Amino acid sequence: MSLPRLNRWIPIFNWLAAITLVVSLVMNFYYAPTERTMGNVQRIFYFHVGTAWVGAVAFFVALVGGALYLRQKRELWDTIALSSVEIGLVFLTIATAAGSVWGKPAWNTWWLWSPRLTLITVAWLTYAAYFMLRGAIEEHEKRARFAAIYVIVAFVTIIMTYISIRIFRDIHPVVFGGTAEAAQGASEGLQEFEAGLESMKMGITLTVNTVTFTIMYIAWMLNRVRLQYLMDRVDSLKMRVAARLQGGNA
Amino acid sequence: MDKVDTAVSAPSSSGNQFVTAVWAIVWKDLQIEKHTRQTVSLMVMFSLVTVVMFNFALETELDAARNVATGLLWATILLAGTLGLNRSLAIERENQNIDAVLIAPIDRRAVYLAKVISVTIFTLLLEVVLVFVFVIFFNKPFWQPVVLLVLFLGTIGYVAAGVLITSMTMQTRAREVLLPILLMPLVLPLILPAATAVGEMMTVQPDMSIIRSMVSLVAAYDLVILATGLFTYHLVVES
Repeated sequence: MSLPRLNRWIPIFNWLAAITLVVSLVMNFYYAPTERTMGNVQRIFYFHVGTAWVGAVAFFVALVGGALYLRQKRELWDTIALSSVEIGLVFLTIATAAGSVWGKPAWNTWWLWSPRLTLITVAWLTYAAYFMLRGAIEEHEKRARFAAIYVIVAFVTIIMTYISIRIFRDIHPVVFGGTAEAAQGASEGLQEFEAGLESMKMGITLTVNTVTFTIMYIAWMLNRVRLQYLMDRVDSLKMRVAARLQGGNA
Repeated sequence: MDKVDTAVSAPSSSGNQFVTAVWAIVWKDLQIEKHTRQTVSLMVMFSLVTVVMFNFALETELDAARNVATGLLWATILLAGTLGLNRSLAIERENQNIDAVLIAPIDRRAVYLAKVISVTIFTLLLEVVLVFVFVIFFNKPFWQPVVLLVLFLGTIGYVAAGVLITSMTMQTRAREVLLPILLMPLVLPLILPAATAVGEMMTVQPDMSIIRSMVSLVAAYDLVILATGLFTYHLVVES
């Protein structure tokens, strides 16, 4: 995507993201019904699941970006992978923070070392380490290549996380594709919040929130890619200035 | 060692070249280790120090020490493992050994597989010592076949991820420092089920269904990470 085209699309998505965010907030507080057992605190659910979902999508996009970079060696794919990991990490942090705030009234603690929460911490660390790897390599091409390989390996471990949370018994509910284990846990009072949603309105609110965060993700991606373009341009301008100055001195 | 020797001394003119290359590199690593005895002794000494340090921290509570023994065993293996990985791949960097290996008409996947095998052997040797030490220190049945199987499978997955990551970190500025930061989070999805399985075996009446699902998780991780390594390793050593 070229810079002028980016410049055209970015304001549109920025505004779209702002508007849908307001709509989502209004829906979360006024349209969605109050949950029976948990009360108003359950309204965090829409942000929690929405951001977690977009986080997963972002890491998947990073994986695709990495794989395409290894195949075609085009800078753009590396930029997309990098931007997506950055934004995915932000969404993952929001989801974890929202979950923690919800955990306080639901489980009476901010944090538990349950398998699922442990593994989400691990996922966070995995993707945070991505920047450490990038920071340690100076060569442009090698940095992009190693980052691409790492992002693929990282996603593989996230898949393992996804599988294992369906095997371990956990206090954290599984909303999408709930398992027999989860249902059993719910009946034993292991889970405060049963799998599945109470009403149609909740489902609609969740969908709107997910769409909002997806639009926000796209907007941030476009901004981030544009930023990278500008950074690269500044770098090349600096090089030209340096070359000019050196030529003048000699 | 005899079996390995014959595989190398009689290069298969008609046989499988891939297997020959793998064994040649493994044999080379074992020979280096046989003469220098650096890697395994380093790992063993390091893990002994770690265990003693933890023991010291938990000394007043012997029961507590016994309860955390499983986690401690894995933590020690992970920490000592990074030493083994760094050592084993640093040897390749010294004297441009790796360049010679890469110039040779060898499939990159063979190089990867060989390094995984040799570091796995080193780590398994370490685990033999550790199991012995843990049985004595914590008085828990770590010698059970299921525990040994989980240790074996867990080590394969850990080393498979480790060789791939170490080959990358070796080529960066931060080197040894970067390895644990990258590797530890990556292998935790493997260690969690592995430690759960070992912990379950330490109970009076282990629940076999839990152990079976944990072992299959570990095995699945092994396969997935090995496949990823085999597919991407040529991109790591590309110069």
